[in-house]
Amino acid sequence: MNTHPYLRAFLAGAFVPTVVLPLMLTGFIIFRLVLQVPIPIERGIIFPMALVPSLFGLWNMLWVGSHERTHLPIGMHGAVLPILGAPTGALVASSLGILALGASGVTWFDTFHVPYTLIAPLFLCVLGGYYLVWKYVVGFVNQVLGIA
Amino acid sequence: MNELGEDRIKKLLKQALPPMGEAELERDLWPDMLRRMDAAHEAPPWFDWALAAALAGFVAFVPMSIPVLLYYL
Repeated sequence: MNTHPYLRAFLAGAFVPTVVLPLMLTGFIIFRLVLQVPIPIERGIIFPMALVPSLFGLWNMLWVGSHERTHLPIGMHGAVLPILGAPTGALVASSLGILALGASGVTWFDTFHVPYTLIAPLFLCVLGGYYLVWKYVVGFVNQVLGIA
Repeated sequence: MNELGEDRIKKLLKQALPPMGEAELERDLWPDMLRRMDAAHEAPPWFDWALAAALAGFVAFVPMSIPVLLYYL
């Protein structure tokens, strides 16, 4: 199992978003097509579908490549990812018209208004969520694939 | 190779390799093995539980954060 560690690292990293995506698509079909909820979710699926799995895979490859030097725990390594991913995601969302900056906050999907005071706690939530997902899920898959 | 040569090689090998001495281990390795096996099934630390509870609480109190969190996963 010592061959192609970076390929295995990419697959282990991309595992979580790949598992979550079908659930999101199921939710999209139910909310948007069956229940006819007037929220343009389809525009927001592009970022998680196209970029997040590759981002997770590349980030895990970076962890495998740098772990011997940095000794950074995988949870902490994963928690750093939103610092890169959050601005990228916001940029993509803004260019796709699903994120609008207002005077008092941001509006997602033309529906969910998030005041600026909630942005910091929300970002901390994303950091915490990433920490747990990377520590317990990506770390587990890394162990199973023999790269941790 | 004749017998004389074999004897010479045996002698040289014995000279080159140090005697094994006491073959017994200095200590029992099994408790360490058990500790490692227990560590593999260790429960998550309290900090992780607290973090998970805080995340669940935030999502429950601010449901509008759900699509944003899903967007980033």
